[in-house]
Amino acid sequence: MADHNDPNAVNSIFSDIDVSAADLYDIFGFASDDAEGGEKVYIALTFAPMPEAGVFDTDMLYRHRMSAHARAVPPSKQDWSLDGLLKYFDAAKDTYLGDLKPSEIRVNVGQDQRASVNFTGFPGASFSTEIALNEVTTVQTPDGHSIKAYLGGRDDAFFNDLPGFFRSINYAPQFYHVPHSMTEARELPIPKTLLELEGNDLFNFDPANPNLGRGEKKPLPTGPLTWNGDRFAKDADGNYRFVYSGKDAQAGRNINTIALEIPLAYITRSPEKERIVSTWGESWVLKAANKIETSPGHPPWLEKPLAAVRGARQDEELQRYKLVDTDGQPFADAALSEREDSRQLGASNFWLAPTFIKRLAHLGWGFGPSISALGLPSSFDHDDSPVSVHRTYPSAIAAFPRTRKTIFQELNMPDDSWNPKGLNIPLRRPFEIFVPNVCAIDMYKTGTWPFGRRLEDQVATRFLALFLDHGAQLDGKKINVETLNDPALWESAPIAPKTPPNPIANDKEFLPEFPYLAEPW
Amino acid sequence: MVIATSAYASELERIDEEIAALEAETAAGPVDVVKATAAASRGYQRATLTGDLTALCGVERAIDAAMARFGPWPDLCVLKGNVASTLHRVADARRALELAPGVAEHMPGRAMLADLHREEGRYEDALRGYRDILSDEPTWDTLARLADLTFKLGDSDAAEDLYAAAVDELSAKQMRSYAWVELQWGRMDVSRGRHDRAMEHYARANAAYAGYWLVDEHVARLLVARGDLEGAAAYLESVGRGEVHYLHHLVDFYADVREDGPEAVRWARKDLALRPNAFTRAALAWALYRAGRRDESLDAIAAALESGLRDPGILAKAATIHRAAGAATPRAPARSCFGSPRA
Repeated sequence: MADHNDPNAVNSIFSDIDVSAADLYDIFGFASDDAEGGEKVYIALTFAPMPEAGVFDTDMLYRHRMSAHARAVPPSKQDWSLDGLLKYFDAAKDTYLGDLKPSEIRVNVGQDQRASVNFTGFPGASFSTEIALNEVTTVQTPDGHSIKAYLGGRDDAFFNDLPGFFRSINYAPQFYHVPHSMTEARELPIPKTLLELEGNDLFNFDPANPNLGRGEKKPLPTGPLTWNGDRFAKDADGNYRFVYSGKDAQAGRNINTIALEIPLAYITRSPEKERIVSTWGESWVLKAANKIETSPGHPPWLEKPLAAVRGARQDEELQRYKLVDTDGQPFADAALSEREDSRQLGASNFWLAPTFIKRLAHLGWGFGPSISALGLPSSFDHDDSPVSVHRTYPSAIAAFPRTRKTIFQELNMPDDSWNPKGLNIPLRRPFEIFVPNVCAIDMYKTGTWPFGRRLEDQVATRFLALFLDHGAQLDGKKINVETLNDPALWESAPIAPKTPPNPIANDKEFLPEFPYLAEPW
Repeated sequence: MVIATSAYASELERIDEEIAALEAETAAGPVDVVKATAAASRGYQRATLTGDLTALCGVERAIDAAMARFGPWPDLCVLKGNVASTLHRVADARRALELAPGVAEHMPGRAMLADLHREEGRYEDALRGYRDILSDEPTWDTLARLADLTFKLGDSDAAEDLYAAAVDELSAKQMRSYAWVELQWGRMDVSRGRHDRAMEHYARANAAYAGYWLVDEHVARLLVARGDLEGAAAYLESVGRGEVHYLHHLVDFYADVREDGPEAVRWARKDLALRPNAFTRAALAWALYRAGRRDESLDAIAAALESGLRDPGILAKAATIHRAAGAATPRAPARSCFGSPRA
């Protein structure tokens, strides 16, 4: 769900918008466990199963873009300044928009439901092939590598309590029919929170309507869409009420996917040095003018000089399509880009860096006090606020001091399994993870998030762990990205229900061999 | 007969299925404002897609009933404004946008307000409105609106660019909208005397959204603009397929261009059989008048006026028919959904 939550104009989880094959859900990427014949990278882009799982929309074009490179040099641990952060973003921008020439695998499917797959920009050779859907195919590259490919329908590998997430951000369209002409009535001006707010009748769980937000909706009330309370809600036993249920809202759902297992040596000529594979996905939809036959003597661009100039930087095929969605990091769109169409920039999301800082501060004022109320240490400076606060910032400068630790802290891993060779490799920090918006697969590691993304990673809960203070300890153990995914923590917390926010495993077991994603339902 | 597989026919079928499903839901259980809005919205879509503006009166009644029951739900206000705007009732459209707070500030309301400025001749306000919207969100429909106004204000090159930008915004999932923009672009070319270019736009529109009467109507108008009246009539007859939209053009052609009364009556009766409303009754009256059948003409125009319609074209026909028959000129009706004396 890099963007099960990124409701740009096609996103299907927002029920007032039709499901569209352009709606990208997730990108998974990790160093493959199968190293026979050399290291391989596993990459799977998943998207809405339209028109159905195993059948692809013939108006769509999908791109897997990737680049192998050495590790970027982040600001030093001492330099936790806004200036240092912006310099890092600038340097990363120069790399991504300048020297870096990402390779790509481009897929479109014809009326016969056979996929045309083009590999371009790889150091070995560019080539095209055609493959059948819904079966594992081995593609031979011109320079002698073997690439495994699976294009078709599978089980959705995302396991998550989406309604809980929407309850936490007071996202009205999940619970209410919001008039199309009230675009501001989406994330309502109520504090984000992990714990129910006393008197927040719009979003608190209602036993009389247990399915509200889980398939059922009510018309948006006409009264004030705000909250005026001053404390978290507690039940008769003195427990806080969790906005999450831990239930898997995605259980039993299918997706379509483009999954590949690619030798690292096909992606880079220097697999020993260039061991970070940054990848992201894009969906493009055919432009209306290109769906019809046009007069050969009068091509449309004759009448569209501006569009032609704009498109000159793209190749001929892409000029026939329109970019709809991008997908790199889980929650980069959903939680940080505020789901706007204009922010579908993929790896080029550098100009959003100030927005990320402001958004993190906004989320921090919501989640930080919730975390503190549970007795957990928070990375966000909320002045010991006893309850979540709805606060927005006009500038990154104003927001930055609050978010400094959240942005710069190293995110601890739960144990050493992520680093099987015990190499001296730094832990990742949030600013490196979300800008640029790519899935950066570390070939030295297992590829578990944030060093890639494995199928079994509970990324939604790991995202919430950004707001924990990773410099602190809990029961003698360092706070880490899995802390909130530990059922024991919730068992002892003053909260109901006593569950991790999201399910801890997928509803269907993953396969031990490629394509790893489970069979479709 | 309509070609069942055309994009137009398919969409119409889908809308009808949705209307039927909503009606079934309404009959089976409680109706909330969301269902009521959906039903009115589908009715509006059907009326505008088929060009059956008389059906908008029924849509407006449904909206009013829903608002009386549920209050000024913002989407209902926008829909009510759209109905009024489509019928050129500017004051009613403005009032609709004021029924609920904030409606006029959101995207659909802002676009409609700019349209209303334009209707009232406040072109600078309209231009500013369109440009403000585009600075927030470059949507194809606002680009097309701005293109049309820009052309009418004399800048055809800028209008070309805007139409090109509008087309560039449209995807393969929006082929009707694409066809519509191509038709508007073609109309501009007709106005500029660029008939071949216009025909290319119309050909693209037809290829994008087959079976659309609006495309055929534009092609016929282009043939008329070229001076090929016979060709226009022949074209309409050839593509007619029993669709109502061609018939009134044929009635007009035979009544006013050829002045062939009996042939006009033949087409008018076909049109009336498919579409019994004030306009088709008035058209039949006019055809009968052209055919020299004055008593029948008087009866037909009386039936048209009974609807309460206050349409200048119908009133003009009625006056001529009555004068020719030596009868007193009928009085205009007081109020109908097509227009109010205060509007």
